[in-house]
Amino acid sequence: MKKSVFVSALVGLALGTFNLAAAPQGTKGVEDFDPLAFPGKVVDDVVVPVPSEVFSVLDKLGEPNWRAELRKADMPTTSDRTKLSLLFGYTVAEGFVAVQAEDKEAVKDLGRDVIDLAKSLGLSKSVLPHAQSILDAADKSNWSAIRKEFDQTQKTVRDTMEQMKDVDLSQCVSLGGWLRGTASVTSVVKKSFSADRAELLNQPMLVEHFVSKIEKMPASTRDHDVVKSIRKGLGSVLQQMEGAVDGFSKDAVSDIGKTCDSLLTEILSK
Amino acid sequence: MNSTLGKTVLVALVLSLASLVHATVDESHDFAMEAAVPFVAQGFIVREDYWNGEVKSGQKLMITHQLFKGNEYAFWLGTANENVALDMKVFDEKGQPVQIDAKADKFFMSVRVNPPKTGTYRIVFELKSKKEPSVLWALAYGYR
Repeated sequence: MKKSVFVSALVGLALGTFNLAAAPQGTKGVEDFDPLAFPGKVVDDVVVPVPSEVFSVLDKLGEPNWRAELRKADMPTTSDRTKLSLLFGYTVAEGFVAVQAEDKEAVKDLGRDVIDLAKSLGLSKSVLPHAQSILDAADKSNWSAIRKEFDQTQKTVRDTMEQMKDVDLSQCVSLGGWLRGTASVTSVVKKSFSADRAELLNQPMLVEHFVSKIEKMPASTRDHDVVKSIRKGLGSVLQQMEGAVDGFSKDAVSDIGKTCDSLLTEILSK
Repeated sequence: MNSTLGKTVLVALVLSLASLVHATVDESHDFAMEAAVPFVAQGFIVREDYWNGEVKSGQKLMITHQLFKGNEYAFWLGTANENVALDMKVFDEKGQPVQIDAKADKFFMSVRVNPPKTGTYRIVFELKSKKEPSVLWALAYGYR
């Protein structure tokens, strides 16, 4: 028994080594990689792309009117930490839209929203230096620095939440950001539809990741009204993504956009 | 008195060892960032989030990641351990390798990817140490 396990492991390792090392770089069709037969360890952590990763492709495919994508949203006053975390992610993602629009005043307003939300979450000490850097860089129209600071702000908040064992809140930050980023992408794609632009919505792995994280949240967070709506909405978004075998139709893009928008309305409700 | 002093020394030693381990984990990321330097000069934007950990020498690791067609990506793998052979490949959803331009140095390596499609990709890497049973690592990425 032990011997057969050892032999299997050895064969697996040999095949794995071959798979990893055999093909010359960039040579397609020479080797196949089967993730289901992967002989190593799978790292579960998922790094969620920031909205600007998708925005940069949209910029290459045309010249979206990013100013038209900016939303002036009034932050609801709440002490609900789940909602505050979703709002934090939303605000950072909105910050990326403002950077894309190169709108100095919008960046500053969002920088101030970041400070207010961090205070409400009890995280102002770790966030203030980043928020101040955002405001300073906005004065100098240093867009790349602002983009970096928004990314750092989100990471700092999520890391701090995780240190405080608030992993579910950290996920809510990512969720709020992803929903806002995806809503912007669908809006831009709808206005100037093409298969290449629509393909940017092919993100089923990320949606599955969020669904799985929600399912593992403590009941108090999982049963939160907004989180329940998000779980349901993600199910419908995933269906659209999985149904887009031959590419996304304009209707599918529109449906994903509507789902994200309605969830954002719920997050932003008073 | 002697016992108290002994305990104090022990605690100090444990704390300093713990901080040394933390410094080493951070160092792996520092090396990944060192690999990123020439890429940043070429316009790559470095993401602040990254993966890191400790792995048995020679054990393969796989990370699933979302890439967008139209961007160019660079992945930077760093380790703080000496005498480590690094290998990293990126595969598309069909299991085809898509990485180009792999470069390795003493403590880091980098690969580039021009995703042929928007979707899920798998980054497979391993770190083989000639001396240590386990290796600390960090993997960061950037895009342009």
